[in-house]
This record gives sequence, structure tokens and C-alpha cells, in this order.
Amino acid sequence: MKTRDQEYRELFMAEALEYYDSMSRHLSELERNPDAGPALNELFRLMHNLKANARAMGFTDLGEVAHHLETLFGMIRDQERTFSGALIRVVFAGVDALGNMIRAVGANQTLPDATALLDNLDRLVRGEEPVLEDAEMLDTEQESNKKMELSDLVYIQVKKLDNLLNLVGELVIDRDRIMTLAQEIGNPALLATAQHLFRISDDLQYSVMDARLVGVGVLLNKFPRVVRDVAAAEDKQVELTMSGQDVQIDRNILQIITDALLHLVRNAVSHGLETTAQRQQAGKPAVGRLTLSALTERDDVLIQVRDDGRGIDTEAVRRKAVERGLTNASIAATLDEQAVWAFLFEPGFSMAQKVTDISGRGVGLDVVKLALDSLGGQLRVESQLGQGTTFTLVLPTSIAVKGALLVEVDERPYAIPLLHTDTVLALHPGQISVVGGVLVTHLHEQAVPLVPLRQLLHDEGDDPLPPANKADLIGSQQVLVVNYNNRRLGLVVDRFLRQQNIVIKPLSKPLDTIDLFGGVTLLGSGQVCLVLDVPALTRLFLTKRA
Amino acid sequence: MNKRILIVDDSFYMRTMLKNMLTDAGYEVVGEAANGAQALEMAASTTPDLITLDVILPDNTGLDVLKSLRQTQPSSKVVMCSAVGQEVIVNEAIENGALAYIVKPFSEEKVLEIVGAALQNDATEQKA
Amino acid sequence: MAEIELAAPAPKADRAKPVEMVQLIVFRLGDEDYGIRIEQVKEVTVTPEVARMPKTPPFIKGIANLRGDIIAIIDLEERFRLRPAGRPLPERTYTVAVEAADYTLGLVVREVPRPFTLPLSQIEPAPEFVQDASTRDKYLEGIAKLPDGSIIIVLDMRKLLTPSEVMRLPGKGASS
Repeated sequence: MKTRDQEYRELFMAEALEYYDSMSRHLSELERNPDAGPALNELFRLMHNLKANARAMGFTDLGEVAHHLETLFGMIRDQERTFSGALIRVVFAGVDALGNMIRAVGANQTLPDATALLDNLDRLVRGEEPVLEDAEMLDTEQESNKKMELSDLVYIQVKKLDNLLNLVGELVIDRDRIMTLAQEIGNPALLATAQHLFRISDDLQYSVMDARLVGVGVLLNKFPRVVRDVAAAEDKQVELTMSGQDVQIDRNILQIITDALLHLVRNAVSHGLETTAQRQQAGKPAVGRLTLSALTERDDVLIQVRDDGRGIDTEAVRRKAVERGLTNASIAATLDEQAVWAFLFEPGFSMAQKVTDISGRGVGLDVVKLALDSLGGQLRVESQLGQGTTFTLVLPTSIAVKGALLVEVDERPYAIPLLHTDTVLALHPGQISVVGGVLVTHLHEQAVPLVPLRQLLHDEGDDPLPPANKADLIGSQQVLVVNYNNRRLGLVVDRFLRQQNIVIKPLSKPLDTIDLFGGVTLLGSGQVCLVLDVPALTRLFLTKRA
Repeated sequence: MNKRILIVDDSFYMRTMLKNMLTDAGYEVVGEAANGAQALEMAASTTPDLITLDVILPDNTGLDVLKSLRQTQPSSKVVMCSAVGQEVIVNEAIENGALAYIVKPFSEEKVLEIVGAALQNDATEQKA
Repeated sequence: MAEIELAAPAPKADRAKPVEMVQLIVFRLGDEDYGIRIEQVKEVTVTPEVARMPKTPPFIKGIANLRGDIIAIIDLEERFRLRPAGRPLPERTYTVAVEAADYTLGLVVREVPRPFTLPLSQIEPAPEFVQDASTRDKYLEGIAKLPDGSIIIVLDMRKLLTPSEVMRLPGKGASS
């Protein structure tokens, strides 16, 4: 687990440097005002934390110095000592020594010797006079000439990274438009600039995605305990091997597949692997082998769950698929193994207890499929009867997650990216007027045109919209105000569903030519939801209003 | 399902290490609080099965947080985290209802043993 | 999931080995039997939930999630104007997923399609001339005459599935 040690070391360093900076600050304050209670409390706390962290990392001397200083600050706080005289010098020397030690840890060097300092700190704690040497004084003076150091690491909330990625996504869309326009206009200078913009935004997108990557180990390392528990409950012997914890993947993807992977692993142990007795009977080693591994394949990340258990009984699954009405007998007979196994991930199929018994697979596997669908990932299955089964999750390295508002029109959901939504309103007919055949409401003293989303979606061609008639407005109108290029437009919808993060998949051919839709997203239920493109909607409205 | 744990410690390093140990062992870490105020807020919003509570926090002492918890959430199970030399505080914490304490620097086995035992206590109490 | 399907052609190719035999997936449109060569068929499934797609011609029923692929679902009865009067599509239909060069389309059919094997010689090639672009004749590979006198109209999916073909006729009013 080299990665985790590395992670701890980096965290330790980042935090230790932060502590060191704070200590120096609070010491200066204490020097100005020896009775500063909050500064004393902080110094005590920081020393305490540094001590605990250093000991956990195995830096004994560093921990000792911090421990002594903690004790000393505790005594000053409890007014058993005063922050004055020789004590000040020793304390400053001590904090300097901490700084040197922390830097030595960062540079992978052996820590400087602290025996003399520790002796002096001991004396102070015991109430004796410290033995001051000139060298210590010198060190202190040199401190002001040393470089200031800031940690190389910053902590950042995933939310902020999500936001950054969303903005980059929008940037890329506009970039593509500018590129197209530049090509149409044909101005060489404009084209060169557009190409430069293209490259920069590409690099930017890559960098932001890179910042969101974490090691797959973050998730895999949760599994030894899971396997142990399920194996114990099933009274099976299982040896778990893991590899590829260092493989990098978007943190949100890991989040989304957590349950899927949990299902696959539980299934592998409780259904895939045989009992010890069954294995011995089959001439297999008593201990079942389970392998969890991650690897990179081109731009994808593969996560594999491999067992050496009983394998999938394809014929049993085939029979069951027919019984369940998922296919008919003559078609079922023509299906190859892969096509048959695909039935295992059908929601209705999964509940079939009998199949679980026969094939060793089936409980809740539709969860796996749904998670992969929502990511645009794939599932591969390999199985040999009696030899074992391997499930491979094929995942994109990164995804663009966008915040969106879901609305309903004619009982269908539509998603509108939050980036283009302004506000939602419930308007009674009195707040709506008709100006030049168009519905208008006033929002912050500004006239905002309204249009039923249904009309924009379903009226064909470029014919002008029929003149609006107030008499058609019955009851409260649900309006989503969208904003594109500072132009606001109110979309009248049937109702608002909710706000949620969505992963947008591009529309595949031949439907990708309809610019009104930025793509589709799969809702948690597996339902398909079209994502509206606000710029295109706005343009369509302007064309049809004429 | 998995037992849910709230970690209270002002050191990010300590929280990360504790969190890794606990999640590796199959527990669900429902939150990480870096100070007393956060701890009380998160304890109320996440209602964890167990809280690991550092004795020294920037805005409050662990003991004060423990006392507040006893009033706002009398059923919450608390394990104190302390360094050597704080036995006095630890004893006071135990008197105030903390179930056990973990001494820093801690080993994974020790943490899991203590947390496991504390949660066991929780289970038997609920059954009784 | 696409990966799994990709692995499929090998055994199918093996089955097609006797040179003069052709394997078709046969389904009913209106009152006629239509067939597609099995190599052009990706899978047959119960039609999943279809989301209506505005701004598309009426014969495009909408889009559906087929094992993670979002595909367009096409109604050939509507496209070829074969829908018998008073017999709308039933509640439960089946979808034949057919593969074009770089995308998949679903054909919605009212009954479970069945596989059918026949000698290639039984398929009479379609006449070369095209009578009317809006009829099915443009997409025919040929017509199979069976010994019992019935016929199967064999469609050539590669002719049907060009994007311009699918998206032509931006008709009046999207269907529901």
C-alpha cells in the first residue's frame, strides 16, 4: 500500500507546515503580549496535534520536541511558568527546530539532532534554568533570513471542482461555435485566434479533469472487510487479492459505482464461490480466490471482479429467460452466451431466486447495469462453467457532471442545465400580458417574453408562433426563466420536478442533428430524459416570434 | 447495514487516518468535524452510531462537546481520542458518559478493537 | 454492454457457413412478413420505455435506453404506411435492434420476431428500378417465395439506415 503511505506523508507535511506557520505567528503575538490567552491555547493545541501526528508517522524526535513544548505551553497557560527570559529563547529555538525537522521530513533527509534542545526543555519543565549556547542564539537570528515556505498542497471541495468542470464544459461548447463561425467568416486572423482558443481550452479541460482524479484504491481498500464479513456469514474461505489501487479515475465516477461494485463482490462471494465442501468435491483448492483489480485501457478504466467459483450456467439462464417472457424459445435458442448472460442484468430477472441457486448469479445485478448506463460505461462478462466468472466494469476516466433543473411537459421530463436558468416563477394570469401577440411578464422592471415550452418543442417548421391569447391561460403558470446572452426567456412548463446533477450523453446518429437537444441523460430510474439546449431554444424562439 | 461513525478531530491528517482505518474495516464515516461547533451540528444532522471525539479542539474542549452531546443526544455513543498524559481528562470524560478512549498514536488493531467493543455495547444496550 | 454484443458475430458467422443458406429474423408489418438478415440484427428485446423525441418525423417513435445505448426507435408500419386500420400498436411490442455502420436503430414490431432459415436461391432479387422513394421498394434486397406460397419481404438495412434517410420527411406534427 505504497500509495496510502505516500498520501499520509503528504497530508502530514502539508499540515505540519501549516502548524509551523501558525506557531510562528502566535509566538510573535505572545512576545508582544505575554498574557495572550487565545494565542497560548492555540500554541498548546498545535503542539498537541503536531506531537500526535509526528508520533503516528514514526518521527519520534519531532514528536518529543512538540510534546515538551506542549507541556511548557500548558504550564504557561496554567500560570506555572511565565513567558519571559531564557524560556522565550528556548521556546523560539524549539519552534525553529520543529521547522527544520519538518523541512527535513519533506526533503527526505535525516532529522537534525535535538538532544541539547530536549535537555533544555526538560530543565524548563522541571523548573531549572536552561543552558544557553551561542549557537542557538545564532540559529534564531538566521531564521529571519530563511525562505518562507508554504505547503505544496491545498485541500479543495469536490463541489468547487464540479463547478469548475461545468464551466469548462460550457467554455468548450462556445469554443466550438466560435471555431465554426471563424471558418464560415474566413478571416485568417480570427481563425488563428480561434485555433489558439481551441488548444488552450483543450488543455484547460484536461487539467481540470486531471485535478479530479483519485486512486481507485480509495474504493478498493474498503473491500477486504466486506469480503471477510460475507465469507464469514456464508461460512466460506476466501482469499482476496487486489491490484491497481494506483489507477486514476474521476472521484465522482467512483462514487457512482460504489454500490455496483459492492453488489458484484457480495455476489461473487455468496453465489459465485462454492462452499469449501463443494470445492473439494470438484477437486479445487479449498480456499476460493477472489481478485479485485483496476487497470487502464486506452482512455478507459477497467475494474474487474474475478472469482474462481462455479461459473454461470448458461443453459439455466437461457431457460429462465424464456420462462420469464424476456424472449421466446426459438430466439433464445439462437442467442450466444454473451446475449444470454445479458439477461442476468434485467431488473425482472434478478429477482429469480431459482436462477441464483442454479447459476450462482442474479441478485440485484440490475443495479450494476443502471450505474454503468448512467456513466456511459459498459459491462463485460466472462465465465467458464466450473472455472469461475469475471465481471469487468468499463468506465470512462472522467465525466462531466452538470447541475440541472428537471421540468415536465406532457408527462415527459426534460433537463435544463442550471448554468442557463435564472429563476422559477408561479404566475397568475393577472401578472401576464400580451404584447404584439407574445406573452410577457415583468420581472425586476424588465419585460420577459413567455412561451409554452410545449409550443417550442412540438410546433413544426419555422412558421411564426400563433398569436398568444390570454384566454388560454388557466390557473397558475409555472415558468422557468432561462438566460442566454443576457436575453431572458420564460418557458411555461407543466411542473417542476427537481434539481439534480446529471451526466450528459451526446445523442447518437441519426438524431444528433437536432440542435434543440444538448444530449440525453438517464435518470436514476433508468428513464431517458432529453437535455434542452437553452441557446438553441432561445434562437428558435426569436426565429418563430418574427 | 454498516455502522455509521462521525469523526471529530482538528487535524486533517488524523481524521484521514482514522477515516481510512474505519472505512477499510467496513464502517461508514458519515462526517468529519474539525471543531466542537461542527461536531454538535453534524452529530445532530447525521445521528451517527458512534462518535470519535478528540479531547482538544480549537473552539472548545472535547469534554465540553461531550457534555453538550449528553444533553442533546443522550443515546449517542462516544469514544474519546487523546494523547498520553491526559488521563485526568479521560477519566472525567468516562464519568461523563464516554464509552472508551483511544490513545494517540494509535494502531489500526487498537482502534478497531475499541470501536468494535463500543458499538457492541451499543447493540447489547439496544437489545436489552 | 456494446462490448458483449460485439463478441456475438463469430458464432453467427459459423452458423451461416452452408453457403447457400440464409438466416433471417422475420417479423410482421401490417399483414405482411418482413425479414432482415441475422448479421444485421444486434438483438431482439421487449421494447423498453420510449421517450418521444420532438422535432422528428412521426415514424420515429422516440429514443430508448437499450443496455446503456440511447437509440432511436423507428416504426416501419408508419414509415411504409402499412398500418392496418383500427389496429394500433399493442401495449407490449418488441424491438429489433439493427446495426448501421456506426450506430444502432430499433425497429418496433407488434409480434415476437422469429428466426427463419432458407436457401439463398429462394430470394428473388428486387428489381433495380426504384418506383417511389417513399415506399419500401427502395430498401428491398429481394422477395423470398416459400414452398407453401407465402412470401417474406427481405429488407436491406444498410439502405434504410443512412441518417439522411431516417431523418427525411420532417413531417407535420410529431406523433405520439
